[in-house]
Amino acid sequence: MSMKKNYVVETIRKAQMVQLLASGKRVDGRSLDQHRELKIETGVIPKANGSARVFLGNTQVIAGVKIATGTPFPDTPDKGILMVNAEILPLSSPYAEAGPPSEDAIELARVVDRGIRESKMVDLGKLNLVSGKSVIAIFVDCNVMNVDGNLFDATSYAVVAALRTAKMKKYVIKDEKAEATNELIQVPVEKTPVSLTFARIGDKVVVDPGAEEEASMDMRITITTEDGGNVCASQKGEASTITPAQVLQAADTSIRVGKAIRAKIIEATK
Amino acid sequence: MPMIERKQVIPGDVIAKGNHRYGPYIEKRGDEYVALRVGLAEVGGDGVKLNPLTGPYLPRAEDEVIGKVVDINGFGWVIDINSCFDGFLPASFVFGREFSPSTHDLSSKFAVGDIIGCRIESYERSRDPQLSIRGEGYGRVDSGEIVKISPTKVPRLIGKRGAMINLISEKTGCDIRVGQNGVVVINGSPEGISKSANAIKMIEEETQAPDLMTRVEALVGGTGSG
Repeated sequence: MSMKKNYVVETIRKAQMVQLLASGKRVDGRSLDQHRELKIETGVIPKANGSARVFLGNTQVIAGVKIATGTPFPDTPDKGILMVNAEILPLSSPYAEAGPPSEDAIELARVVDRGIRESKMVDLGKLNLVSGKSVIAIFVDCNVMNVDGNLFDATSYAVVAALRTAKMKKYVIKDEKAEATNELIQVPVEKTPVSLTFARIGDKVVVDPGAEEEASMDMRITITTEDGGNVCASQKGEASTITPAQVLQAADTSIRVGKAIRAKIIEATK
Repeated sequence: MPMIERKQVIPGDVIAKGNHRYGPYIEKRGDEYVALRVGLAEVGGDGVKLNPLTGPYLPRAEDEVIGKVVDINGFGWVIDINSCFDGFLPASFVFGREFSPSTHDLSSKFAVGDIIGCRIESYERSRDPQLSIRGEGYGRVDSGEIVKISPTKVPRLIGKRGAMINLISEKTGCDIRVGQNGVVVINGSPEGISKSANAIKMIEEETQAPDLMTRVEALVGGTGSG
């Protein structure tokens, strides 16, 4: 029995897709800059410090936040630790396998982590307890429950929503030692980064590619923007290229569409 | 002709007792025939049969299926036939006995992603099903809209002697090709395709409705060249 490697789009389906794109339409009826329906639930894991489940079309991601104390990294002795990890569950897709995280899962975690980190969403300076010895460490673990394209954005929204609703213990410093109190406080969230992924199929660039579009795309680019309308991170994927004009246009779209998505995330995490 | 008795069964139900011939999804325990799936059981002249309500496509020799090329290796094409098993179409069945991996380019005949109408040549449980495109009408499908339904609903979609599928085809003016594996390819006008696809989806959802034929006729009835 051979193992399924990855999703193959039917040749006639791809021809249909390219034909539709030429007239500014997509196979699922969306316009080029329209994302799929976004649904955000928070507080889905009672025992976690914060959690969220995001549905982006049929793509489904769950994120959980765990907060503990830890030793800071030697190069940032007075800054807290933030780590984003992602796993693609075997049940989520016929092409996902159990075992150590795949290349895709590692890239997913890194791209999402970069967007959160570079936007300065969490003020890591405020997580310092005892310089060089003890800081607050935030771990965000994501599980992809269902794969239907564009895991980057769904995971990013889940992480942002989970962090926005996360609560942690307040610490007091006694004799150079951090002691936890029973008081719960919010994680110091300063910004709401929004990631938006684009796929180039032929000479058209579309927002939030679905599974079929991802399987037929030539290249993809993920652009994360923050509240001020600044681009704070981006990552290109796949072997092919993109023109400078297309990148600039994608950045503009990311800022414009990102604004609406940001409002949705803020509304869902009030 | 003996009366055919139909009843709904769940796994573990005894369908019949005595001595009968029996088909797949049924196990014989002592003199009892026990259902292994949720479905409709039939006891009649042909023995005991069980039509499951859900389940994957299980290949059977001589079935006509519509598959998708997912991989090419030196000796043939690996075809996704919407089953738990991948089909294999050997290159020698396509190029003939003089096939040699060094002189023939397999991807020039069928590329990854191509849709192929084919027949199950042989299937036994120890090996992946072997496919063939010998015979009229088999080979690459160059156009059309692909609709997938549950393979267990295929007999209802075709209907008695093709009554249902012919009805949809005539009323919408579309050419509809149904694979036993649940893959359907529709060719025709855009409106016809959308009407046919809706009718096919309705048949899949309401397989057990007694007046299905009339309702399908009402759904596709509006226009048509048939």
